[in-house]
Amino acid sequence: MNASPLIEIRQLVTRFGEHTVLNGVDLDLYAGEIKVVMGPSGCGKSTLLRCLNRLVEPSSGLIRFRGQDITAPGTDVRALRQSIGFVFQQFALYRHLTVLDNVSLGLRKLRGLRRAEAEQKALQELDRLEMAGHRDKYPAQLSGGQKQRVAIARALAMDPAVVVFDEPTSALDPVMSREVAALINRLHDEGVTMLCVTHDLVLAQNIADEVIFLDQGRVLAQDSIARLAKDHADPRVRAFFGRDGDKA
Amino acid sequence: MSFLDILRQLAHGVGYTLLVTLACSVTGLLSGLLIAGGRQLGGAASTLLLDVYTYVFRGVPVLVLLFVVYFGLPGLGLTAAPLLAMMLSLGLIAGAYLAEVFRGALASVDAGEILAARASGMTRGQIFRFIELPQMLRFAVPGMVNEFTTVLKYSPFAYTVGLPEVTKEAMSLVATTHRGIEIYLAVGLVYFAIFRLLMVFIRWLERRYEIPGMRPA
Repeated sequence: MNASPLIEIRQLVTRFGEHTVLNGVDLDLYAGEIKVVMGPSGCGKSTLLRCLNRLVEPSSGLIRFRGQDITAPGTDVRALRQSIGFVFQQFALYRHLTVLDNVSLGLRKLRGLRRAEAEQKALQELDRLEMAGHRDKYPAQLSGGQKQRVAIARALAMDPAVVVFDEPTSALDPVMSREVAALINRLHDEGVTMLCVTHDLVLAQNIADEVIFLDQGRVLAQDSIARLAKDHADPRVRAFFGRDGDKA
Repeated sequence: MSFLDILRQLAHGVGYTLLVTLACSVTGLLSGLLIAGGRQLGGAASTLLLDVYTYVFRGVPVLVLLFVVYFGLPGLGLTAAPLLAMMLSLGLIAGAYLAEVFRGALASVDAGEILAARASGMTRGQIFRFIELPQMLRFAVPGMVNEFTTVLKYSPFAYTVGLPEVTKEAMSLVATTHRGIEIYLAVGLVYFAIFRLLMVFIRWLERRYEIPGMRPA
């Protein structure tokens, strides 16, 4: 593990008008690591992810990415976004493009690769996720789990420094959720750095030893789910993790 | 003179009708796309300007604008050839309507896909070109068909500025033969045939670019 984190968040505050969504969040993510952020709906999980690539502008605080303060004026936001792979809740595949074009579009238009090179690279990523056989299909012809894999391939194709997942299992059934967990674990073994926001306890347990619990815009706890469910002082934390935590 | 002879005589004007319809449709398509793109990519000021433009052009009767261009502009030292005058009146009015069709179609593009494109690092222009535009054009097909049909039906105005299209041929024929009912019935058939041809072409285009799961609403 490197001495300095890949992503370093300090006292991050985000306000939408009067409403404070993030209220002083600290978080470190090291290269090769996977971190899971959990919390009730509206706790600021998605906003936290969107601050990382400046889809949402932080109100105050610091976000360092590879040691650079990316909240500073003059930050190359487009370059930043290209090094953070985003996998969205509803997958957000471009529905007018085939699977292959979904994955190769960024390589062609953002990296300037020629079509043949871009498609070769895209096929490699699709193959890695066992989706190469579906290369000519359109998103509407895929199942939820398949769309998810294409979305992950699209993110990985750009060789990002980190892949962030926004609720990766909320649109999937339990069987597929377990497959996603297995997939994320495999990517972790391959050295992919990941940050995952979810309220799926089964997923969280399967992919990380510890989770970060976010509530009302603050990090309330960071520990294993079992300990958060039984031993945490705050009843809200116990209640959140207790549902499935007891079974663990 | 048999009905077939009448049709044969009218056929002389078909070329002009097609030319006017095509020229005005292309003008409409291009100006409509420019307005839609300008709205998406421009600032508040240019959006307001384009909104005023479409508002005005949708409100002006085709014939009035045609006369302004063809008979009015020469007073300012600007002359427009008949076809150009048609493009600047019927064509631009069609463009203003198409801009509204495109506005609706753009609203149908999934916000999640646009967010994903932003998150990948695309510029506003790239998002418009690679994500919004191709989807917009597919969603807009029914509205575009309506507008091109309207252009075809307004094409007879071209005779007022001296283009010998189908209706003009018919009027000349009626003047010499006094067989109005048959001749205008034949004109109706000619327009219907052109309309059918247009529909066949559009259906072919639709099938050619059809994408599973992406049908116009």
